[in-house]
This record gives sequence, structure tokens and C-alpha cells, in this order.
Amino acid sequence: MTSFRAQQLTPEPGTALYVHLPFCVAKCTYCDFYSLAAEGEDLDGTLEAVIAEVHRRAPRSPKTVFVGGGTPSLYPPEDLGRLFDELDRASGFRASAREVTLESNPESLDADRVRALRSFGVDRLSIGVQSLDPTILELFGRVHTAETALAALDAARTGGIERISADLIYGAPGQTVEAWLTDLRRVTAFELGHISAYQLAYEKGTIMTRWREEGRLPVFGEELELAFFEATRGALGDRGYQAYEVSNFCLSGQQCQHNEGYWRNEPYVGIGPSAVSQVGGTRFGNPRSLHPWRRAIERGDYPTAWEETLSPVERLGETWWLGLRTRRGVDLEAARASASVEPEEDPTLPRIEEMMHRGLLERVGAHYRLTERGWPLADAVARKFLDATSEREKPTDPWEPAKIVGPTSPDR
Amino acid sequence: MDPLLIRNFSIIAHIDHGKSTLADRMLELCNAVEKRAMRAQLLDDMELERERGITIKARAVTIWHEHKGQRYQLNLIDTPGHVDFNYEVEKSLQACEGALLLVDASQGVEAQTVANAYLAVEADLEIIPLLNKIDLTHSRPDEVAEEIEHSIGIDATDALHISAKTGKGVEAVLDEVVKRVPPPREKLSDPLRALIFDAIYNEYRGVIVYLRVVDGVIAKGQKIEMKGTGKVFEAVEIGRFTPDMTRTDELGAGEVGYFISNIKRLGDVRIGDTMILHKGPDVEMLPGYAPPSHMVFADFYPTNNGDFDNLREALGTLSLSDSSFSFDPVTSEALGFGFRCGFLGLLHMEIIQQRLEREHDMDMIQTAPTVNYHVDMGGGETIEIHSPGQLPEQYERLLEPIARVQILLPADYIGAMMQICNDHRGVYVRQEYLSQTRVLLVYDIPLAEIIYDFYDKLKSATRGYGTLDYTITDFKAENLVKLRILVNGEDVDALSSMCHADQADQRGRSTIKKLRKAIPRHMFEIPLQAAVGAKIIARENIAALRKDVTAKCYGGDITRKRKLLEKQKAGKRRMRQVGSVDIPQKAFLSVLGDREDSK
Repeated sequence: MTSFRAQQLTPEPGTALYVHLPFCVAKCTYCDFYSLAAEGEDLDGTLEAVIAEVHRRAPRSPKTVFVGGGTPSLYPPEDLGRLFDELDRASGFRASAREVTLESNPESLDADRVRALRSFGVDRLSIGVQSLDPTILELFGRVHTAETALAALDAARTGGIERISADLIYGAPGQTVEAWLTDLRRVTAFELGHISAYQLAYEKGTIMTRWREEGRLPVFGEELELAFFEATRGALGDRGYQAYEVSNFCLSGQQCQHNEGYWRNEPYVGIGPSAVSQVGGTRFGNPRSLHPWRRAIERGDYPTAWEETLSPVERLGETWWLGLRTRRGVDLEAARASASVEPEEDPTLPRIEEMMHRGLLERVGAHYRLTERGWPLADAVARKFLDATSEREKPTDPWEPAKIVGPTSPDR
Repeated sequence: MDPLLIRNFSIIAHIDHGKSTLADRMLELCNAVEKRAMRAQLLDDMELERERGITIKARAVTIWHEHKGQRYQLNLIDTPGHVDFNYEVEKSLQACEGALLLVDASQGVEAQTVANAYLAVEADLEIIPLLNKIDLTHSRPDEVAEEIEHSIGIDATDALHISAKTGKGVEAVLDEVVKRVPPPREKLSDPLRALIFDAIYNEYRGVIVYLRVVDGVIAKGQKIEMKGTGKVFEAVEIGRFTPDMTRTDELGAGEVGYFISNIKRLGDVRIGDTMILHKGPDVEMLPGYAPPSHMVFADFYPTNNGDFDNLREALGTLSLSDSSFSFDPVTSEALGFGFRCGFLGLLHMEIIQQRLEREHDMDMIQTAPTVNYHVDMGGGETIEIHSPGQLPEQYERLLEPIARVQILLPADYIGAMMQICNDHRGVYVRQEYLSQTRVLLVYDIPLAEIIYDFYDKLKSATRGYGTLDYTITDFKAENLVKLRILVNGEDVDALSSMCHADQADQRGRSTIKKLRKAIPRHMFEIPLQAAVGAKIIARENIAALRKDVTAKCYGGDITRKRKLLEKQKAGKRRMRQVGSVDIPQKAFLSVLGDREDSK
């Protein structure tokens, strides 16, 4: 069996914890997360395996916990209760975590359930509303209506969880900016602390991507995409929601702390099939398939399927890329320190200058961040930094040959 | 061997007119090769030659033929059939006294046949016309005989009718060679003089020198001096090609054969040099040959820059078996390190390129061919340049090579063909009707035009029936300009080219169009301009990128999404940064590497 470096790594106490429960009622047409339709699957056995992995791998005193999927709320409350109890036994999260989020879908949420979740230690709910347009909900393959979704938002409040986030997707085929803004207004009327608004992306392997490749869906032009992007930021901004990340908006102080850790390139431990961890500068993942993952757990093995360890300079590039997605931006000194890159080894400086010169990057205090003009080009800017920090690039760079070769003749 | 019993001859023919088949039949008739042991078309050694039906390197074969009770030594010296290899043809013909002019009686005379026949006439050879493929129902021997008379000016009334395929009439050809080709005029008793008419490199034997003994006798064991280079070699082995290498103790005046002496490098042997006896009597050098002139140039770059050394080695090895191309290191801001290679012509270029790919497994990028220009610097000084980047800031006149082009084509297409010649800056010289249906058109056309797309146009305008031959006759000062290409306001020399002032607008526009397609959008608008001197003649903009952002990125996605971004970047590996613009290699190649735009 392959030996992974990851198996020797022990997460520091306080490391963020993610738990993945892969089952949904049905697979949504846009979704590329690792998820399975629940019917006919062994939900109980899977939960037991997750609990086993929790005991084996969960960090002590995690500062944040995020249970995602899939649809974790699909499990009956008593099952989730057992999961959280075991989680606390393994990690002591109830004493340490500043934020415990559970992902849920509207159809599996009522006030009683919310109360139960709250008693388990959950203090934040991320609810998959996605759209309020019946046509779009159907296109997405969602199993709930707009009304169910709005009722779930109420239920969360009634059940006593104050920190609520709604997930929304815009830019569906046929949707207009106006129609989207109307839906958005209906959601913001609830005065939730947090909204994630994603532009629909055609990820590899999804049902919608296949439809689009078959020519069954209209393709958006870049200008329309940009109009949606800007309108979303504008409309949410007007209602007091700050864009603290490309697709994440919140009222003051309501940021998702768990996700902010990802964007700061901090360590985390992921548990469950397909879950990814980053510990001690190494990133590694579980199998993206239920049974190989379960078999490994049940054998008592580490379920690691892959890992990568970037060089310090590459890590720095990654920190730039992830940090540029946020309004906070990148603290250059801190980023260098955490990646162990000396200032004189830092290859990003010319890129910083170039991007500032182009008006895409600005400096606020210790942080560099994208300007308003830079936001819609976040990937293009990030690529500049990844370019500058890519190690593998150099040996095969055709433009800077190592040596100059003199005149040549057949007389060798 | 009594020189009176020796006949040295070549076969002049167009590709596909049956030269190799005829040679095979002759060898069979003279029992040089058993039929069943014979590979079809024995004379063509190289894989590529057989595949393309072209003979590249001259070969020599000795066969024996009985005529009226006498045994004659017939030396068949092979010639290549393509226009690019006139230089090789000339070498072969100088070793002969006669030539068979082989014409396909169904196809008629082709331009290259005419060109090579002229070379034979100039070399004062006895020419025996043969009409081949007379077994084909659509052959028209009488008409083709007439074409031969009109185009080459020799009597073709008693041309032999043969079929190389069936062997019909081939025996008579051998008799005719004995009767009509004069024996060598040289004497055995004179001091040794032998002409090196070719040389090849063999991995095991070293250099094999092809020689024609002009005077005297060369014998095994003798110390031989190359008069031109002064180098001395011992005759370790001499022999004849029958067609396998067959050792012999000596070769006498008039005979053709080979010489081996553990010569390690082709560079040690100069083709056209005179071989004499070391410390023997002083004799005059034979006239020899003018060195080959490189007419067409192109750059080869390894696709992976790390392969530069491999490419150099491959070119070095190739030059051991083909001394008629040149290669010099070159640096391109666009394509890195590579070699500028000089060729005899377009086909020669193509063959070298294919041999590099096939025999040396090289993965290369090849730029579009260019010609050599002469720059008159004033005060009698002239320099030669091969690329626009070499053009000095100040000069008197810029001269380009002019080719005298002979086009043979069916009369139906003459109007279309003249139009094409005019479009390519051709100057009409003359036209001749060789028969009622076949016309010879003669034009003076700049070589740069011919290598651009002329041949393709000729073929399509004449439905493949037209053939072309050219000789460089002159360098002329034309109204040539350097077409500059500016990307984001910066001159990109690797994209510039030379062209006639009248064509600059069209070329400039088409270049800019190609670049607009090939350069990806950036975070800013990129102006593309074509200019002659300070004057902008074409302009287009690449619009700025407006939106490029991933919607979702969380812990489980980071590695995968970073790899996606890097994948988009992997294309960048083949990019050249000019100012702040990343220009992909394919953009350079869309401008430098193809000749599509005029279609």
C-alpha cells in the first residue's frame, strides 16, 4: 500500500474541522460535489464509518466545525445527535468551536428539527434556497418549492438559530438580471446575516454541463455574466451586505469563519468520503467514492487517496490566489511567514506592481486586495501570481535556455 | 578495361515517368540482380525516396551487356528528377557521355525533363529519346515526340518506343547505348585523374567516394591525394556497384566506381575535387563543380527547448549524408533557440524536415521559407541577408533573387496561368506551343513569390497537369519593404517580413487578422498594428477580458481548482512575453509557419 506523508501528520489543536455526509434526496443538475441519491444506500453504515473516522482523525478543540454534503439534514435528528455527541467526545468541539455550521435543504427543515440541532451544538445553518423561480428550481432538479424554502428560513429563526445563510444561484439559462434581483429582494427581506450568491458554473461532469454541450441550453455572453455579477454586488451592497468574498455577502460580523480559514490557506481536517484536509503544509484527500472510503475505514486504515505538498513559493502563490478572493485581501508579510518564504525569494513582487499599475490591485494597510475593477477578473489576476510562483514551470521554460550554444558544424 | 568498351550514361526523366523501373529492367536483362531477389526500384536506397518516388542522391551501377559478340561495361549513373536537385543532376551528368531522355508517352514532356535535358545538352552529351509506357491505351507517342523536338530541340523521329514495366524494347535501349553513346575519350596511359562526383557517409565504412576515372588507372593500395584539399588517403578498397559494392583491384580511365579509405567525415571530401596519385606527376585539376547555392531558408526550432542539442546532433548526422544543406544556430525572440537552414529548394527543405522527423524522431517547429536578399550597402559592398531582422537601418538598394520559370501546361489553362504569373509579379518572357495541346510558358518571377504559394496555385489552376521548373538568373532591386508588426505598440521583429510594397497592405491586414485570432484576450485592450516604415497600414484591437472569476472555492476544491487554473496556464508555457503581452507560440506560427492566407 502506498504510504502517504499525510498519515504521519497530526493536526494542531484548534484546527478547523469539516465533516462530509454525502447523501441527498436527488442529485441536482448543477452540482459537482461528491453526493449520492440516498435511496437504496446504507445511510446508517455510512454514518458509523464517519463516526469511526472522527475518532481516528478529528483534531482536538476545533475552532470551527462545518458539516456539509450532500444534505446532512437528511439524517433523522437522533442520528445527527449521535454524530455530534461522538464528535464532541473525540474533539471537545462544544467547548472550543466559535462556529458550528450545518448545511441543510429546505425540505428537511422545520422548527423542531432546528431546536434539536441547536441542542447538539449547531449555531449556524446554511440553507440551500438556490432560487425562488419555479422554472429554475425545476431545471436545477431541486425537490422543494420557493415557498418551502422561505418557510425553512422562518423555521430556522423560530427554532432558535440566529446565524442563517441562504445559498442562491444566479445566471440560470433564460434568467434576466431583473428577475434575479426581484428574487434576491425577497430573500434579503428576511434580513439574514449571510447570503452566498453564486453565478451558475458549468462544472465538469454535471448534468447541466452535458445539456449545454448537447446545445440544449442557451449560452451567456461575457457581458451578460458581468452584468449579473455587478448587479448582485450592487443590490446586496445597497442592503448593507458586504461582499467579503467573490460569492459571499454578509451583514457586519456575520462572516463564515470556517470558510474564511480556507481563503487564508489555513489548516483543516476533512472527514467523510471525498473530504480534503490540509495539515502541516500537505493537502490530502479521501477517495471520491463511498465504498473504497468505507472499506479503508472499516479495515482500520487511513482512507487517504491522494496528497500534495507544495514548495514554500508555490504555497505563497496559492495564498495569493485564495486571499485575492476576499475583501480582506492578502497580508504579504503574514503570507510569506506562513509559507516560509524569505522576502528576497518572493517572485510575486513584479506581479504586485503590474496589477497595481493596471488598477486591478490596491493596498489597504498591510493588505493587498482587488479593486472594484479587479473583482470580476479575480482568476486572471490570480493566474499571474500562480504563474510567478510555479516551480515546475522553470526547467521546461523554452524562453530562457540555460546555455548559449556556439556555432555548429558537422565536425563534432 | 579498354575504354572503347565502356559506356557511361544517365537517365533523365520526370518523377513517375518510369526511370527506376527502366533501371530495374536493365539490371535484370544484364543479370546484375536476380529478379526474385530484387526489391522493386533498386536504385533508390532511402526509405523516403521510395515513398516519394524521388531519387535524391546520385547512384552509380555497373552492368555488362553483350553486343555483336563484344562484352561492354555500361555504367548507369542515376540522377534525381526534381528541380531542386539540378545541382546533383549536373554532378551526375559530368560523369557521363550520354543520356537517355525518358518521357512518358501518355503524359508528355514535363518542365523538369526539359530543364534536365538542357543540362545534358550543355554538357555535350549524346541524348537518346525514349517514349515509355507505350502499352497504355491513351499513350500518344507521335505527339510527345513532337513535344520533345519543340521543347528540347533534338531529333525525336526515331525515338525508341518502350514499356519499362513489361520490359518491351529495353534490350534495344541497351544496344542503342552501345551504338550511340561515345566511349570515354580518356587514355589509360596518362597519369591518374579521377573526378569525385559524389560521396555518401556509411555508418560502418565511413565515407564512400563515388568517382569517375578520367585518366589513367586507380589501384588498390595506392596513396591518393585529393588535389583540392591536399589530403592524402590510401585506397583501402575500390570497386564497382553491380549494384552491390563489388571489390576490384583497379578502375581504369572511363570507369565509374567507388573508393573507401576510412574517411570519417564527409567534410574531408569535396565533391568536384580531383583525385591524383600522391607524389605522382603534376597534373591539372578537373573543372569540378560550383558549390551548391542555397535558395530557400527556413528556421527549425525544437518543440521542446530541451531538445536543442538533439536537434543539433540530428542536423549534424544528416549533413553527413547530404552536404547540400546548411545550418547555423539562430535565436528567435519568439521561438527560442533553433537553426536557420539553407536548402537547394522547397522540396529539398521538405525532405530534410521529414528525414529529421522520421530518422531522428525530432519534434520540430518550422517557419515559413524565405529567400536570401542581397543588400547593396553602396560603395561596392553587398551583404546577404536571410531574414527581415538582419536588414540594416541604412542601405542603398535591396535586391531579391529572380527565377526564370518554365511552366509546361495544357493549352486550355494558359489564361489562368498567365493571370497567376502576373499576380506574382511575373514578367512575361515568351510562350511556345510544343504541340497543339501543350504550351511552354516562360516568365521571370521573384523567387519569394514562388516559394510563397505559387506551386499550389499552379497545380490547382492546371488541375495538376502543369509542371514547373526554375533557375535563379538574377538579383534585382524591386520595391521591397519590411512589413513591421507592432503588438501593444511594440515592434515584434519575429513577426516582421519582407514583401513588395504593393502587397504590404494585403499582407499586413492578413497578418493582423491571424494574430487577433491567435492571441488570447488580456486584462487590457491590445492594439495590433502593421506598419511600413512609420506608416501604419493595418490595425485591429483585441478587446480586454471583462470577466474571469470562479464562483465557488472551498477547502475541498482548492487543489482541483488550482490545477484547472494551472492548466489554462500550461498553454502559457508556449508563450512569449512581449512587453506585457503574452503571445502564444501558435500566434507566431500562424504568421511564420503557414502559407494559407492567400487561399
